[in-house]
Amino acid sequence: MKVVLQNLTKIFPGRNKKVREEVIAVNDFTFEIPDGKLIGLLGPSGCGKSTTLYMISGLQKPTAGKIFFGDDDVTELSAENRGVGLVFQNYALYPHMTVKQNILFPLQNLRGADKLSKEEMLERAENAARLVQIDTLMDRKPSELSGGQQQRVAIARALVKMPKVLLLDEPLSNLDARLRLQTREEIRRIQKETGITTIFVTHDQEEAMSISDMIVVMKEGVIQQIGRPQDVYDDPTNLFVAKFLGTPPINVFEGRVEGGRLFVGADAVLDVPGVADQAVTVGIRPEGFVPDENGPLVCALNSVEVMGRDVSVVSTHPAAQVPAIRSIINTDGGLPTGAEVRYSLKPRKVLLFSKADESRIRFEVK
Amino acid sequence: MSANNHVTMHERDMRRVSSQQTVGKIVSKVLVYAFLILMAVIVIFPFYWMLISSVKSISEYRLSVPTLFPREILLTNYIDAFQQANLGKLFLNTLYVGLVSTLLSLVITVLSAFAFARLEFKGKNALFAALLGTMMIPGELFTITNYATVNSFGWINSFKVLIIPFLVSVFYIYLLRQNFMQIPNELYLAAKVDGTGDLKYLWKVMIPLALPTLISITILKMMGAWNSYVWPRLVANDKQYQLITNGLRNAFTDSTGDVNIPVQMAAVAIVSFPLFLVFIFLRKYIMKGVSRSGIKG
Amino acid sequence: MVESKHKWKAWIYLSPAIVLLLIFTVWPIINTVRMSLLEGYNSMAAVGGATYDFGFGNFKQVLEYNYFLRCLGNTMLLCVLTVPISTILALLIAVCLNAIKPLQRLLQTIFFLPYVTNSIAIGLVFAAMFNMVGSAFGGENEIIITAGIINNVIEFFGGHAINWINSGSSYAANVVVMVVYIVWNALPFKILILLGGLQSINRQYYDAARVDGTSRRRVFTRITVPLLSPMLAYVVITGFIGGFKEYSSIVGIFGEDMGPAGAPGRLNTMVGFIYDSLSTQQGRASAAALILFGIIFVVTMINLYVSKKKTHY
Repeated sequence: MKVVLQNLTKIFPGRNKKVREEVIAVNDFTFEIPDGKLIGLLGPSGCGKSTTLYMISGLQKPTAGKIFFGDDDVTELSAENRGVGLVFQNYALYPHMTVKQNILFPLQNLRGADKLSKEEMLERAENAARLVQIDTLMDRKPSELSGGQQQRVAIARALVKMPKVLLLDEPLSNLDARLRLQTREEIRRIQKETGITTIFVTHDQEEAMSISDMIVVMKEGVIQQIGRPQDVYDDPTNLFVAKFLGTPPINVFEGRVEGGRLFVGADAVLDVPGVADQAVTVGIRPEGFVPDENGPLVCALNSVEVMGRDVSVVSTHPAAQVPAIRSIINTDGGLPTGAEVRYSLKPRKVLLFSKADESRIRFEVK
Repeated sequence: MSANNHVTMHERDMRRVSSQQTVGKIVSKVLVYAFLILMAVIVIFPFYWMLISSVKSISEYRLSVPTLFPREILLTNYIDAFQQANLGKLFLNTLYVGLVSTLLSLVITVLSAFAFARLEFKGKNALFAALLGTMMIPGELFTITNYATVNSFGWINSFKVLIIPFLVSVFYIYLLRQNFMQIPNELYLAAKVDGTGDLKYLWKVMIPLALPTLISITILKMMGAWNSYVWPRLVANDKQYQLITNGLRNAFTDSTGDVNIPVQMAAVAIVSFPLFLVFIFLRKYIMKGVSRSGIKG
Repeated sequence: MVESKHKWKAWIYLSPAIVLLLIFTVWPIINTVRMSLLEGYNSMAAVGGATYDFGFGNFKQVLEYNYFLRCLGNTMLLCVLTVPISTILALLIAVCLNAIKPLQRLLQTIFFLPYVTNSIAIGLVFAAMFNMVGSAFGGENEIIITAGIINNVIEFFGGHAINWINSGSSYAANVVVMVVYIVWNALPFKILILLGGLQSINRQYYDAARVDGTSRRRVFTRITVPLLSPMLAYVVITGFIGGFKEYSSIVGIFGEDMGPAGAPGRLNTMVGFIYDSLSTQQGRASAAALILFGIIFVVTMINLYVSKKKTHY
């Protein structure tokens, strides 16, 4: 089932009665989510991603705009009639029911033509439990489960009624680091197996990048960029997206373009053909630095952190907006030593942004 | 069935469902408000009836078709009530007993709660558990012996008999101890290191921090004095020491003849009025105290 | 550390409380047991040198005493009627209050109002409302039949006035009045606790149920009530304890005779019985008080046991 969001807008009335300030949580959101894909809504907290998810679920009504499931306009339809599965951030498992009762609960709500027999319900519950590998825990109460297990139960409960769309709100935020890795693979696998269009919300870019077919980066209610994770990472449309994606984060410098060459500080570091002369903000991905005795970018060396395969070099530069520049280099050329380190730059990893509106300035790469 | 046909059916279906939802929602909202308002009227009606009856003339009160709004407002009922039930004296008595017992009770409660919350001594936990255990026992069980005890002390018909037996409330000690426990122990140890005495620490740090609980206790204790009936009836029937509730109950049942109900209602209104004032201004503290106690008054 | 030096200090702080508790709490417990086991004990006579046999005579006598059984019966009847009625009503009101936004605070305040009243004083108001007798005090053209708003209302709807509480009234009518008054009195506390409980239930459970298309009825029975069960258990237990100690609300309506004129003691309760025998027959009063304690203890234990089974999560 494809999901279409058309000019979706959500405005919350201001909390302060005197000022009457309205908060635009989601602003003119238009996007078509293709059938059977896993989509990550990504952004810092307060960017409207959860609100968007809740509007798709029907728990919140949009102020303006429309939502379609397939060709059906579901904007006016309330949550119970939309046929969505929703996994809450805190799972919202009913604490007084066993795992089995929790999973059966949505099925027992079905009435009329959809009503199932007891045996059918049990079978479907068991199938859902097997899918998320909790079929041995059916008689436990939620309080007797670990966080990861609770998460699986919540997914099983959302899947058991065979939803048209599966929605996950920060599905991994309550898990520890190790479980997080494992669970996100699990979510990917379940989504692949069921083929249900799945939308999840996260503030963790790594999480979104690793499993999504497509990511939507949001900021203050406005879509910044939509695309395949790698494309968005390689080719961000503005400084916000560039900064938001990637660990370690992108290194930002003050720079200027003169005669088709990019200067950082006094040094011309890269040819940027086709860019008019102007002051720019320069972003360089950590993997864009190549140690080079004759390299144009001269940084003061702070420390070298060896992390097995890669080496992370921490250095400083007067034109950097960040206190420490972090670069990831491979160790083929030996470790940098001494008071300074010189780099040449990989052109594809250098991104220029307008000083005026932080939008991307593209240049030709030879 | 063609795909096209299917879609249109589906859409119509959905539109029907969504309009049913709206109608259902409105109907249920109306029902909820109707029920709540009806119940609120029932709950509040006795107060209203008390107020309007208290200003009616006796003849108006006795009309076969009662007036919901009094024809004339007869404030003299209040003066009659004040005199007939000797409310002035009763007010003063109750105020005196309430204030003295609240004050002493607060001192005892604070000291005990402090000992249980901050000091270490042998048998602390056992003693505290034993105290909590006594909360299960109905107060009537104590009354039998206490009546004999105060009798043998020669305390019958005095203010001390109304004050002393109820100074210690295990529940208040418990409540305040819990509150004290939430104050980090480091504060106490730091004060010790600085050479601050226990009492000074108690006064400067713990009492300000536990003020809301102390206010709740004060209000409940004052309300307790205002509403106490059974014990004062037993031990202080002398007009000199009578408390307000007893005085009120007796003032209108002594005579065998007709009770002048408007005057009686005026007296009830006078007695209830301070409670309402306290409630309006200190609602937050009352509700907090009550929701933790489960004990009336 | 600090403690060793100050051990004695704790006892100084505790001394006022301990002295008072020893006199007015600990001694009464011991003495009540003692008196209950001395057959026919009377403290006045005991001071005069009378001696009593040791045994369970007081308990036997009390339990065979018709008047005590009547008091016990009244108490239980009021308990069994008022606790369920007030709990269900309070639950309905709390659920409705929790579902609305405008007027919520105002209504909440109104529903709490009976709590801050004096049950004796407002008892007089209820007595006046349920009153029946009127006499010739009216003006010239004013016909006097009844003087009690409840009967006025009944007659307005074409019914016959009922003698609720006056001389010659029926036991059933008396009980109805008591149930109305006790429920009215019990509602505020129960609403407060249940509303607090409802507000502490995580909203996400309701969102989850909505997404799953759960009907209102099912949300109420399968989610709200189970999640509220600890509060419900608390309200029921305190309701029963309060119910077994019912006394002053009856005094409020019927006066210290504990019954309508001409039938004193008809509505007396366990506590009333204890107070009646308190100054003259302490042995009997003690036995009754211990029986009351036993009943409250057993009821509390049963409630705790049942609620533990039902609220386990």
